[in-house]
Amino acid sequence: MKCIITIELGTNAVRVFAFDLAGNAIGSQRGYYPTFHIEPDYSEQDPDQMFITMLYALKNLLNEYIHPKKYKVASICFSASMHSVLAVDKNGNPLGNAITWSDNRAKKEADKLKASALGKTIYTATGTPLHPMSPLMKIAWIKNNDKERFRQTSKFLSIKSYIIKQLTDEYIIDYSIASATGLLNIHKINWDGDALKFAGITSAMLPDLVPVFTPLGKLKKAYQSSLGLPADTKIIVGSSDGCMAILGDGVKGEGRATITIEDSGAVRVMGDKVLKDDKQRFFNYLLTEDRYVSGGPTNNGGIIFEWFTRQFGDFKNPFDIEYSMQDLITEASKVSAGSEGLLFLPYLLGERAPIWNANAKGVYFGLNIKHERKHFIRATIEGILYEIYSIGKTLEEHRGIKRLSINGSFANIPFCTQMVADIFNKPVQLRQNFHSVSYGAFLVAATEMGIYKNLDEAAKTVVLPDEYLPEKQNHNAYMKYFKIFERLSIKLAPEFEAIANLQ
Amino acid sequence: MHQFVFQQGLSGELQLFPHIIEIGAKKNQAIHLHSFPQSVSACIRIYYINEGKFEWNVADESYILFPGDVSLVMPNQKFGSEKGVLEIGSISWIHIKIQNHGNNELLSGKWSSLSETESQAISKVLLMNNMPVLSKLPEVGRILRYIHDEILNQEIGYSTRVNQLIDELLIIITRHLTKQNNRARDFPKVFMQLEQALRQNLSHQWTVEEMAAIAGMGATLFNEKVKNYTGFTPLNYLINIRISEAIKQLKKENVSITDIALDAGFYSSQHFSTTFKKLTGYTPSEFRKNNFSQD
Repeated sequence: MKCIITIELGTNAVRVFAFDLAGNAIGSQRGYYPTFHIEPDYSEQDPDQMFITMLYALKNLLNEYIHPKKYKVASICFSASMHSVLAVDKNGNPLGNAITWSDNRAKKEADKLKASALGKTIYTATGTPLHPMSPLMKIAWIKNNDKERFRQTSKFLSIKSYIIKQLTDEYIIDYSIASATGLLNIHKINWDGDALKFAGITSAMLPDLVPVFTPLGKLKKAYQSSLGLPADTKIIVGSSDGCMAILGDGVKGEGRATITIEDSGAVRVMGDKVLKDDKQRFFNYLLTEDRYVSGGPTNNGGIIFEWFTRQFGDFKNPFDIEYSMQDLITEASKVSAGSEGLLFLPYLLGERAPIWNANAKGVYFGLNIKHERKHFIRATIEGILYEIYSIGKTLEEHRGIKRLSINGSFANIPFCTQMVADIFNKPVQLRQNFHSVSYGAFLVAATEMGIYKNLDEAAKTVVLPDEYLPEKQNHNAYMKYFKIFERLSIKLAPEFEAIANLQ
Repeated sequence: MHQFVFQQGLSGELQLFPHIIEIGAKKNQAIHLHSFPQSVSACIRIYYINEGKFEWNVADESYILFPGDVSLVMPNQKFGSEKGVLEIGSISWIHIKIQNHGNNELLSGKWSSLSETESQAISKVLLMNNMPVLSKLPEVGRILRYIHDEILNQEIGYSTRVNQLIDELLIIITRHLTKQNNRARDFPKVFMQLEQALRQNLSHQWTVEEMAAIAGMGATLFNEKVKNYTGFTPLNYLINIRISEAIKQLKKENVSITDIALDAGFYSSQHFSTTFKKLTGYTPSEFRKNNFSQD
């Protein structure tokens, strides 16, 4: 029996899944790796630790689920977080750690470019918002601030490119990850001259561009033997986690949007055209040559509710955050929609779409003497989801959205899923069992094998069993508060800046 | 409260207890110049406040201590009052000698009834500590009083009782220390602290008990939480760190493979080689050769 393995190099962990050819998950493994914050704006990860963790998790999966049952691994397909940058020398050895998407050290580079006419040209060409998350800004930062590293750099890779280089000895980058670097012209699918110039590099310093289906060279002999995989195991480059998440939810064209809420979150739509926005609020990433994934990201997803739980949860057992969260949600459900007038802006980590304000802060607003802990809990969850809605609403200025699908650990909490349905006033579908990202990777691998004619056919087969229907009355209540939420988010900008300067 | 000071070598009372360098209690009713200057010692020093308010300096940081608080001073840390003066109030204290046992510094010696692994874990946690003040720990005051009484009264079995009480003192301080660090809420933060501790001392042969103690929980809960959080058992997670650290070193040509193995915490280059090959398919020297092939 054949199987497909997917490897998702996520923000905090690698997730390895095995699927049979019908798309049923037959096993999974998870391996955590740390993020280092050696200075306030820095977020780095050790590429070798990520590689070893990936190998270890993969090996455990093979030994536990695949080899004992005599499955034959047909292919291994990758997905990864976007926006990472790793400088390597001429031997391919890392020069320092990988810089991850949440690293903000390149604020100045981003602000400078955003204020210039060149900025608009580059955004229009590359589809990546001008923000410190973008590898374009990070490379420019290294050029300006870490000259020795810049001088020694032979190539700037993404984390996935580095991992694949270890396994097959090739320097490649897929269209999706490349389209999130801020360096790729997403219309022509080649490296953008203006962006390269701003970053101070040539295209020879970047990996080779390949479509997401591309089967790579053979797994190195040593890994064939240590993993027990045959020489003809296909290694497929795959896509980014963002593109895989929407594909895995079965979205193939207009009328649908996908909401992902893990620690951070995003609202995404798919289409055959780039989504043009004068205010530069959205990203446009490539899944294939003619499929664009557009949308907006938020910093403040489930991580904000975790923060709240750590401060105000009961923790009847040490470190039992899941139980404490569940307890809080039970309490929140005793309050009616709108939290009786208590409103929360969730911008504890600054915010990206749609307000793109790194100085934004958290706010509880409308507090009166009758409010209790349960109101705070509900208001906190509502605030996180109002932010998601504000992204969805700006997307709707460009695209009609009839139905939503939802994935990610926070979004999967039934209380939250229902609230999303109510706030958006649209039906919401979700899949409980496993990761949409990994399922998207399965669909890419299966399409490459010829099981599906193309990705549209593959996406059609996705069945999301659970559906949450909106309740009109709740929607009306939420909308009254959302108007205030929207106004406050803009009006408070000068005060956000003032308090940020004091912090 | 009796006031007294016993010092090793000067006081016969301590003859049976070579690990106690000094023990005492003092009720201070007037401020005298130069009564409490800053000093450095090779022992671990534990002070407990019975009454009064004290402003003390540990390793050039100033702290205010109130009744029930404990000051825990590591070997070679500067400690005392910045003005050199002991404030009015009442304190008790003990100085305990550190033993060197191979590469490990141990707080407890033959006198102790702690097992070797427990003793190592406790020493590890205490000596790594960077929290000089433990707040609200009245048990320390109680134990110090019992030790004083035992030494002063010398009733039958007192030498065993004193040593048991010192063990208890170390255990209580260690538990409090790891729990004060976190409020049993933020596992990611606790795990990050552990990760740092492991990386700072990667050559050490860590046991699960030591890791659990640093994380401030029992071994059972610790195992479960780590497995849940990382996908690996604590020892397998540690192997991840050891191998990835070794990979970094292998990419530097001038470090010998034996040194890399030992620095990364493997028992021997053979042990390193087997573990490395099992995971990566390469022996360390093959791996090194591959990474310089383009030169």
